[in-house]
Amino acid sequence: MPRRGVPTTEPCASGQSGRDGWLSRPLPLAAALLVLLPACGEKDTPGLVERPLSVSEKNFRLVDSSMERFRYTARPAASAGTESGSATPRGLVYDTPEGWTEKPGAAMRDVNFTFGEKGEGECYVARLPGTGGGLAANVNRWRAQMGAAPLSDEEVAALPTRPLFGQPARFVAVDGTFSPGMGSSETFPGYRLVGLILAADAGAVFVKMTGPKEVVEKNGAAFDQFVSSLDVKSN
Amino acid sequence: MAKHPIDWSPKNWPRLLYGFFTSFKLATVVLVFMTVVTLLGTLGQVEHGLHSAKEKYFHSFFFTEKIFGVPVLLPGGLLLMILLFTNMVLGALVKVRKRWKGAGLLISHLGMLMLLAGGFVTWAFSTDGYMAMYPGMTSDRVESYREWQLEIVPLSPEGEAEKAWIYPAKLLETMRPDEQRVIHAESLPFDVVINGFSKNATPVPVSAPIAASVTGKEIDGFKLSPQKASKEAEQNLPGCFLEIRPRDGGDPVEAILWAGSYKFDPREKAMPFTFPVGDQLYGALLVKKSWTVPFSVRLDEFIFERHPGVSTARNYESRVTRFEEGQSDKALEIKMNEPMRHAGYTFFQESFGPSGSQPGDEMYSQFAVANNPADQWPLWSLVVTGVGLGVHFVIMLVNFTVRSRQRRSSPPVAP
Repeated sequence: MPRRGVPTTEPCASGQSGRDGWLSRPLPLAAALLVLLPACGEKDTPGLVERPLSVSEKNFRLVDSSMERFRYTARPAASAGTESGSATPRGLVYDTPEGWTEKPGAAMRDVNFTFGEKGEGECYVARLPGTGGGLAANVNRWRAQMGAAPLSDEEVAALPTRPLFGQPARFVAVDGTFSPGMGSSETFPGYRLVGLILAADAGAVFVKMTGPKEVVEKNGAAFDQFVSSLDVKSN
Repeated sequence: MAKHPIDWSPKNWPRLLYGFFTSFKLATVVLVFMTVVTLLGTLGQVEHGLHSAKEKYFHSFFFTEKIFGVPVLLPGGLLLMILLFTNMVLGALVKVRKRWKGAGLLISHLGMLMLLAGGFVTWAFSTDGYMAMYPGMTSDRVESYREWQLEIVPLSPEGEAEKAWIYPAKLLETMRPDEQRVIHAESLPFDVVINGFSKNATPVPVSAPIAASVTGKEIDGFKLSPQKASKEAEQNLPGCFLEIRPRDGGDPVEAILWAGSYKFDPREKAMPFTFPVGDQLYGALLVKKSWTVPFSVRLDEFIFERHPGVSTARNYESRVTRFEEGQSDKALEIKMNEPMRHAGYTFFQESFGPSGSQPGDEMYSQFAVANNPADQWPLWSLVVTGVGLGVHFVIMLVNFTVRSRQRRSSPPVAP
């Protein structure tokens, strides 16, 4: 009978030997099963097993919120400014394209710009830990905002890539009627959405530009310039 | 000549089985399937990634493959190797007529059996993980690339713990997303409930636009968004919901646990979800499975050279000191293609970090640590097979020479 919840430091039962994976696989040799299973039968104990921690495992960082635990940093509003090569408090450096105006950072946005005669165009950078909800889900969320049909996983995987932070990011471009959502019921016909989504080791990065189609087209080079200037502050 | 009918009576089964397993036809069929499986497994790495492809094609008894859209059941590498091993033992060693002329072939088959046995030992007993450290750090702990386990730690107010209660990776990884497990430990004042386990997940703040499409519970401003498992298993970051049920009748506590709270840099500290029960503070987190090696390694110096003008690595190597009880300390270098082999473990210079580091930044060195009892068996088996083929060649040569001489010395036969 399995010993439920019985603390043990036996390497065989603790799952710490690094060798126990083979027991969970179907053993091809009955002889091996007969010989080895009785010796390590406690491996399948469906309870917690106790073990001492080694020096490198003893220290933990105590954090107050899930926000910190999931590596989201509190984001102070960005100071407005268009200085070339400016560094933000979020550790990003970038060049502000000519004619673009930096706005204070909003929720989930690290960098926030408007452009166009009336500031009708918008571009922002957002970062999320992990995959940020997944590449396909985000591509299709953007497409849904433009009233476009979702893409299959294969179609998403086939999207073109452009460099972002030196890594290949998926490039999305959709025309349609823009519904920003987030509590707003307004719609903007004749809009274009251009964006990059990067799922990197350090987390997901989104660069999204929206606006009237002709305004976005006019600012295509500025978008490329901004994206290529984006970097992580080294110190 | 008329064929004898096969006797299918039960008393003849052992003979039939023996005949089946020793047949040359079986060996031929198995070798053909092995070629097919090797081809599919090699191509499958593109779709599934290395680890998943190995599991599907080579560590399985059977697998299904869609060929022209039709799913076909095929024998897996494990089954084929067992069949080939059995066939060679019975057919090439037991059944074969023993004579000096066949000694070379016998030795060759022994070598091939060693290769197959080595494959089994590697599959069943080998471990692989990594050890990362900055210069000056010493460690004897190896971490798994892919396996995650749940850890509960009693914490001091400073965030220190002496021991942990582990829910092992081999149990955690068998959980389905819709499954709930209640785990009980006598020495803890609470029960642990895990549910909603996902092998790859991301916590999404409810303020993020994508959160609207994520179903499931919201805890502390976050939802857990399950993700499609990555082709490269080491990139998966599992997540789950945790509930702590104090046994003294206190209110249960809920949390989302995510592997991203673990440390990914040797100087980082893992960030557990913390909760008090009675006077004791506890932490819960997902950690990588780890194990120790029977000696310690200190990284004395990490030499990292970049190509001029770019961040790409040109060369990197580590100078280390190995400490072992009862042995004198040993200074060593670990370089690309020059691993450190000791006590059954092999340390390869694998990688470096942190990612995105710039010239002048302090960097850590990462070693791949493999423990494979059959590490050198392929080499030995090739030597044995080579010797066997050499012996066979010599025997054949001598035989040919003797027969040629006999033919020359015998009187010509009149037409």
